Amino acid sequence: MREITYIQAINEALAEELRRDEKVFVIGEDIQLGAFGATTGLVKEFGPERIMDTPISETVVAGCAVGAAMTGYRPVADFMFADFMYVAADEIFLRAAKWRFIHGGTVKLPLVFMAAMGGYARIGAEHSQSPVSYYLHTPGLKVVVPSTPYDAKGLMKTAIRDNNPVVYFYHKILLGTPGQIPEEEYTIPLGKADIKREGTDVTVVATGFQVHSALAVAAELEGKISVEVIDPRSLEPLDMDTIVQSVKKTGRAVVVDEDTKRCGIAGEIAMQIFERAFDDLDAPVQRVAAANYPIPGGMLESAVLPQAADIKAAIEAVVA
Amino acid sequence: MDLTKEQLAEMYTNLVRARKLDELIVKALQTGKAMGFFHSGQGEEAVGIGGASFLRDDDYLYPHHRGHGIAFFLARGISPKEWVARHYGKRLVEAPEGPTMEERGIFGLAGTIGGMFPLATGWALACKKNSRQQVVVCFFGDGSSNRGTLHEAMNLASVWKLPVVWACDNNLYAQFTPLKDAYAREDVADLAPSYNMPSVVVDGQDVLAVHEAIQAAVARARAGEGPSLVEVKTYRYRAHAEGMPDVSHADPRPKEELEAWKKRDPVKLFREKLVKSGALTQGEADRIDKETDAEMEALDKLAMDSPYPEVTDPSILDSLLYSE
Repeated sequence: MREITYIQAINEALAEELRRDEKVFVIGEDIQLGAFGATTGLVKEFGPERIMDTPISETVVAGCAVGAAMTGYRPVADFMFADFMYVAADEIFLRAAKWRFIHGGTVKLPLVFMAAMGGYARIGAEHSQSPVSYYLHTPGLKVVVPSTPYDAKGLMKTAIRDNNPVVYFYHKILLGTPGQIPEEEYTIPLGKADIKREGTDVTVVATGFQVHSALAVAAELEGKISVEVIDPRSLEPLDMDTIVQSVKKTGRAVVVDEDTKRCGIAGEIAMQIFERAFDDLDAPVQRVAAANYPIPGGMLESAVLPQAADIKAAIEAVVA
Repeated sequence: MDLTKEQLAEMYTNLVRARKLDELIVKALQTGKAMGFFHSGQGEEAVGIGGASFLRDDDYLYPHHRGHGIAFFLARGISPKEWVARHYGKRLVEAPEGPTMEERGIFGLAGTIGGMFPLATGWALACKKNSRQQVVVCFFGDGSSNRGTLHEAMNLASVWKLPVVWACDNNLYAQFTPLKDAYAREDVADLAPSYNMPSVVVDGQDVLAVHEAIQAAVARARAGEGPSLVEVKTYRYRAHAEGMPDVSHADPRPKEELEAWKKRDPVKLFREKLVKSGALTQGEADRIDKETDAEMEALDKLAMDSPYPEVTDPSILDSLLYSE
């Protein structure tokens, strides 16, 4: 094992897949330097033909990925900020998500849409969202949200090898987070949750940065409440079996999501817990998510985004 | 552009077939045989037949949506059986002979206007990467030219010198809105200098003029010289879609306008030209028309005799959602 950071892990995954398969290329705005480091330095080894800097043109970046994927390439389109992907909605939600389905399976779309998501950097409403719910609401797109360097690397490699469009959201507050990864090559299947901490009193489901908040709260409550933290790692496909199994053991659940609470994945997971484990529940499932407002810039951000204190309060409420 | 007598006859045949297939679906909708939308392409058949005939088999093509692409499919040698059956809501029991859409570089038609520009850029990028000298011909309407995607795609395609031909089917109306009220200039081709590419405006009722212009742009793209813009001026005879009012804004389109364009009907013009030049005799042209009528009868019967798709196994939805 060796230690690398979250963003190095993504960078390594891209480099390994670029090396492994000449059909892989990366396309996006300013990716040769790389705004967050995910693609930094790749141009030195792979050249500008495979690490392609584009003008500020999100629709054509997405279109290049979708079009090239149809012909057999495996593009990774980088949008820098998740917020910027809205610009390419037609290409992502209609072309990428639906063209295999509506053409009777004749079209193959092996591509990755990647972007940095998330708040806590106090950089305002249009650079801080975690807009997973839109993609989850659109059948045909897979959604990956890694929380550790190990997961970030293994999931990116799988996403690139997947024959379907995968939306890969990495959290911008985790870039420098260190973690252990194996020396040898590995991949992580989509749709397989990881139990980040075992516990017996309450199940907390979280992704991305929220996993770290949940783990911090769990450590704080040690000795008082035994918290199990589950990271689904991919939200589509979603490993509900692992979540339900845990809830059957603990009888209590809190679902944490950094996206807006209304119509978010926290509500979806909570409902599925009710559907599949209602008789095992000792208390109603609690949701912790962003309040139903745009994310304010500056200090007010904390009033909207979920905080560790909110997770703690929710855990205490379900075990009370 | 030396087309053989056989090639000219093939183009004429396909022009007649495109017209009659369009008429077939209009009639089928009116008599309750067909279902769904139909956006007739009557009057504009020369765009597809001229634009998509005699490309390389492995070139990529985005058809214009008029006539639901039928002129383009015929020009690419694709059987119309599936096309007719789908409009009738039916499923063919046997796959038709000949190449599929995918085998002729056609992936489908977008439901949103302007979605073709980014897609075609992606195909053209793939063509440039694989160095097989493939070319993309991307048709779009005058209405699509109002989308911002045009700018992003044309700009990047020119910056990267991608092998793509941007081909505008300008029929003067975007659904109910006349182009003069939606675009600040008269010719869509005038956009080309902004993207540092050549352009040409051609008579869309003259199938050979369309063919020549597209082929010249294709040759340029294939030689690695980058994109071109070809604007084809034409006119649709019918309303935007069957069952919709045929209007300019909220008023009926001027009758004189339609009559003037019908005098220059693309099927009639080409027939006259071929007979006059001796490439086709009157008798040969009559025979083609008659054979096409027989083909239409057979296609109608095939579609009527084919079953509606029956969903007995909903797992088909899973198999379509994701690829293995």
